[in-house]
Amino acid sequence: MLSKLELERYSRHILLRDVGGPGQHKLKAARVLCVGAGGLGSPVIEYLAAAGVGTLGLVDDDRVSLSNLQRQVVHSTENVGKLKVESARERIAAINPNVAVELHPLRLDADNVGELVGAYDYVVDGTDNFPTRFLVADTAYARRKPLVTAGVLEFYGSVTTLLPYAMDTNGQPNPSWRCLMPREPETAALTCSEVGILGGVVGVLGTLAACEVLKLITGVGTPLIGRLLMVDIRDMGFDLVDYYRNPASPVFGQG
Amino acid sequence: MVMRITVKLFATFRENRFKEARREYPPGTTVADVAAELEIEAGLIGMIFIHGRAAELDRVLEEGDVLALFPLLGGG
Repeated sequence: MLSKLELERYSRHILLRDVGGPGQHKLKAARVLCVGAGGLGSPVIEYLAAAGVGTLGLVDDDRVSLSNLQRQVVHSTENVGKLKVESARERIAAINPNVAVELHPLRLDADNVGELVGAYDYVVDGTDNFPTRFLVADTAYARRKPLVTAGVLEFYGSVTTLLPYAMDTNGQPNPSWRCLMPREPETAALTCSEVGILGGVVGVLGTLAACEVLKLITGVGTPLIGRLLMVDIRDMGFDLVDYYRNPASPVFGQG
Repeated sequence: MVMRITVKLFATFRENRFKEARREYPPGTTVADVAAELEIEAGLIGMIFIHGRAAELDRVLEEGDVLALFPLLGGG
């Protein structure tokens, strides 16, 4: 049940024909794991908390640094040096005290990822490296959890939604992460600390990722399944690129 | 005889190049050949799609292929 104060807090959601009271109840019942409490994670955490997602799990082993604050808006200057998950918890409590927060100040690895992903209903990945992205994507597939995954660099970003264990409208399995990238890159990818990132870019991509999670939970609209949204802030363009399952991809069909 | 290939570039690969172009290549051209011709470092390529399906650098292109190249966007 939603309290009187919750009904008021979420009234603009409840007014939405496709969300309404039932949608708001789904949000309250949902458990979402946010991997990364950095640039992408900031708007993800803030919008999911404000939207009334009942439980947010935060994974990040990093501490807030001064150079994070140009884009990682969930953190504040006074929290430099604090664990990012603890800093984010303070912000969540300030936005919406109805949200339960579970902190996981650790680096995901093959030993801990299964239990962690398994404990949530949805996963959103805004991590800053490909080994973790592959680990999260493969695990979410094996554990049959919907995954929204995004990446950014410089003035650009990408976001997509993966439900590879489910069928499309033609009865065919949806594509997996490995249909985008069959294997991990051999060379280490460039990072924001090497080539930079325009602050607002993570805001755009993280907000898009948050919207995808909210849509998945409430069942509203069409998620980015089989569609990669490429965002070009430099010349301001959005491209939707269709992609398809690749039976030759590793991991596909397992799990 | 030449093959007509549609090449689509994304993110940083567009800078000083193009977003989309129809280009002509000799038969036997691979994805790696196209990347080299466009002076795109192979190690920077994150995703390769041909008609929306993931492909490898050594894939030999065919007439009418739509090739999309994406850089690694690994930041968060």
